[in-house]
Amino acid sequence: MTIAPGTDLASTPLARLAAEGATGALHGHAGALYLADGAVVHAESPVVPDVGRRLTAGGRLSAEAWEEAVAEGGPDYRAGRFLVEHGRLSRGELELCHLSALFDAAYFVLSPPDRSQRAPERFLKEARHWLGPVRPVPVPLLQRELCRRGDLLRRAWPWPEVDTAPVVPVPGAVPSGASGAGPTCGRRAVLEAADGVRTPVQIARALGRSAFATLLDVRRLAAAGLVRTPAPGAPAEGGPRARTPLPGPAPAAAVEVSLLYRIRDALEAL
Amino acid sequence: MTGIDGCLAEAMTIPGARGAGLVDWTSGLTLGAVGEGPDGDHEAAAADAAELARLAFENGAFTRAGRAAGPVEDLVVTARGSYHLIRFVETAFDSSVFLYLWLDRAEANLAVALFRLKDLTARLVLA
Repeated sequence: MTIAPGTDLASTPLARLAAEGATGALHGHAGALYLADGAVVHAESPVVPDVGRRLTAGGRLSAEAWEEAVAEGGPDYRAGRFLVEHGRLSRGELELCHLSALFDAAYFVLSPPDRSQRAPERFLKEARHWLGPVRPVPVPLLQRELCRRGDLLRRAWPWPEVDTAPVVPVPGAVPSGASGAGPTCGRRAVLEAADGVRTPVQIARALGRSAFATLLDVRRLAAAGLVRTPAPGAPAEGGPRARTPLPGPAPAAAVEVSLLYRIRDALEAL
Repeated sequence: MTGIDGCLAEAMTIPGARGAGLVDWTSGLTLGAVGEGPDGDHEAAAADAAELARLAFENGAFTRAGRAAGPVEDLVVTARGSYHLIRFVETAFDSSVFLYLWLDRAEANLAVALFRLKDLTARLVLA
């Protein structure tokens, strides 16, 4: 599922756009990367919790505050700056949350776990994202990070089947009682959210958490024998992949506005 | 304080500071760095520091010890000629970030440096 060792990153569409100092959006089936002057300023993927989901999931921002920033700042491509200027977030918080979401989404856009999805290749010149630039990331830094993430997953548990299958806890494998032998904070939350139906990215969405960190936790849980590893090529347990909407509060109006922007960008990219 | 760059610039004013970086410990990604990196390489130092941070942060023996159980706050590594300090950044949303500071041991005051790091990481996420 990851960028294969030896892949010539310099020949990818992204590297060419970086070398040209391009501005616009690189669209693919698994999401989009936005560039400004050849650097990555935003990335989004439908399978990765976006900045709004991350900020509202833990209660850092109310759904209304996020919705207001998208509605007021979005049309001028400055929803992020709106949050900082109106004292809703510190600049540091916006940068940390946005960078985390950017690298997380970029990983899924450039190396989707679902191998039927190809890397992005449609480029829409001059397209900008409504959040606005926060902290641009040079393409070589992004590519080094994505390679490192692929290596971390392989080192944790080299069976990529667990990335896309429903997470099924092994009954009785978790030691009872909160002794030091059990899984730690992040992995414990992942394990508690694993209902035998949700896939790792659905668990990440329910928790408002990094999708990559959740994949890594699932691989470590599989390595520790706490969740099942499906046989390679076998249909995942639990039948077809669940498409049911996840429970949990969704900032409905904000989602609609951001969805409209996304649809507009996708239509323009056709 | 103006975001990551402002935080790192202030970290460099701590007596004895040789280099500083903001690092995501899930993967070892450097989000920003200033000054020198040990061995002249910020990214390699960040990856090593992240491995140490993850072990400490995820280990139940540290986080559940004592009456006031809670996450690890700082890590201090003393080496010949250097201090390496790691201060975890607490955010009200999902994150896994720490501020790393490399100090010249002859010029640094460990207590002062820890106090300043605590203040810096708190103000980074204060609206």
